[in-house]
Amino acid sequence: MLRTLIVDDELPARERLRRLLAEIGGAEVIGEAATGREALEQAARSGPDVVLLDVRMPGMDGIETARHLGILDEPPAVIFTTAYDQYAINAFETRAVGYLLKPVHRDKLAAALAHADRLTRPQLQRLAAVSGESRRTHIGIRRREEVRLIPIEDVLFFQAGQKYITVRHLTGEDLIEDSLRTLEEELGSGFVRIHRNALVNVRHLERIERHPDGHYGVRLRGCVTALPVSRRLAGELLERFK
Amino acid sequence: MATPGGTFRGNADAFYLPDFCASRAAFAIVLIAELTAIVLSIARQSASVDFWGELARSSLFLLWVGLVGAALLCGLRPRLARLSVVRGSVMVLAMLTAMIAVISAAVFLLGRSAFVAGAGGAAFFPARLWPFVLRNTAIGFVICAVALRYFYVTHQWRRNIELGATARVHALQARIRPHFLFNSMNTIASLTRSDPALAEQAVQDLADLFRASLSDRHQTITLAEELEIARTYQRIEQLRLGARLQVTWSVAGLPPDARVPGLLLQPLLENAIYHGIEPRPEGGTVTITGERAAELISVVVRNPVSERQNEREGNRLALANTRERLALLYGERSLVKAGRFDEEYIVTLRFPYTTSAPPAAG
Repeated sequence: MLRTLIVDDELPARERLRRLLAEIGGAEVIGEAATGREALEQAARSGPDVVLLDVRMPGMDGIETARHLGILDEPPAVIFTTAYDQYAINAFETRAVGYLLKPVHRDKLAAALAHADRLTRPQLQRLAAVSGESRRTHIGIRRREEVRLIPIEDVLFFQAGQKYITVRHLTGEDLIEDSLRTLEEELGSGFVRIHRNALVNVRHLERIERHPDGHYGVRLRGCVTALPVSRRLAGELLERFK
Repeated sequence: MATPGGTFRGNADAFYLPDFCASRAAFAIVLIAELTAIVLSIARQSASVDFWGELARSSLFLLWVGLVGAALLCGLRPRLARLSVVRGSVMVLAMLTAMIAVISAAVFLLGRSAFVAGAGGAAFFPARLWPFVLRNTAIGFVICAVALRYFYVTHQWRRNIELGATARVHALQARIRPHFLFNSMNTIASLTRSDPALAEQAVQDLADLFRASLSDRHQTITLAEELEIARTYQRIEQLRLGARLQVTWSVAGLPPDARVPGLLLQPLLENAIYHGIEPRPEGGTVTITGERAAELISVVVRNPVSERQNEREGNRLALANTRERLALLYGERSLVKAGRFDEEYIVTLRFPYTTSAPPAAG
């Protein structure tokens, strides 16, 4: 039995998928969720094999939800559902990602379940990049029984270490697996690179200070220590925040 | 051609000359005559010629030519409009040139008359007949030809703009958001099993909406009918969005018999739901208020604000479309305002109350 989670913000859409799954057989619905956040909670708790995930949802959209599902210990396979979203469909086509068009045909759903597969991280990153409107709103942090979501605006800075990236946010500090370069690309102009290993949230920037030795440092609201600015990026930074 | 409302009745077959019977055209003629007089006087100026005297003389003559020409075109326009562009233009050119020759000859003869001679004003008039007539005719010919060309090009240009606008309105009207269509289909697919009666109603509602969106754009409908279309739309969205969508209607003050262009309100409600309610996990309330003050009807649609609503293309297109259609019907007496105020996005429509179908231009 495939343990399946249905995620869609519209009740009639969820009901229909549930009924189709019952007709097909071989799948057991272990839960329903109306938002990406609920989906993550349920997935972390009950570990589904497959998630049927609507692309267009209020708050966190399907593609971002899929990315956060991807950091679970045992990420589920994902099948996207969409009524009409040319960007997303193009992205699914080129990345060979499973998707279904609504109203969903029963035999197509059966076929998709048979081939359902996990998404790889590069796949997810590319999906997010090409699907146009999708913008990352949260950073997902894996905890034992849950995925904790830190809103992007609460992040103070990212700092790259040997293997992980440290996320410093309003409520603490966590480690994530990602790369500064993709984060920088995805987060856009709200964040600024101040060092090879540091990406800073502009909204928490308090001041730029000059040390006696000629180096620059950045002070962030709520941070005791200053972050060093690399010589190469100092000019750009001063130019932007003159 | 150009009517006060800024709209435009010209079509591909209409003659390209403006209506010279209108006071605006007469004013333009006076202006052109004076400018030409100034140009001619400057061109002729030399030590022996008095500029102001020359200007007075040229003005007098050109105003006569201009106004007589306008009167001729005004009277003959219906006949000229039946000719092809080329034949009409040749006719107009020939007629105006001949008219200038005749007026020039008349001016010369007036200068020779006993009346003028007695008053001692002969010096004000031309001395010799043929050089005067020929020169005026030649100048008149060139200026008329240039003016005709100008009117023709302007006419083409406006026609292109008008055709472009029409095409845009058509395209918009035919456009039902694909999202809405497929989502509705999905809802209906679900309801056919769980609640066949509701599914049946949804299909009927969807059919009504499509019929409205496919109807002739020249048609106006009553406000009561338009409100019903908007409510039909709301019923379908309600199935999908459930408790997330609340719509408050306070439209009791609206006269049900007022004529409005079809699909005037529905797209505003659609926008409010699409941009204001759907992106919010908790949903929200769309408020539609309408009232009639004297002969003006105003309708206000408000929704909770979501990021960037005023910048989104779909939103701008729908608003531009509404604005265009109201302007086509009511000219400057209509108003469409939209913007973000605090936590709300507010669209306001204002237009005159009429119970007869207004003469749709275009």
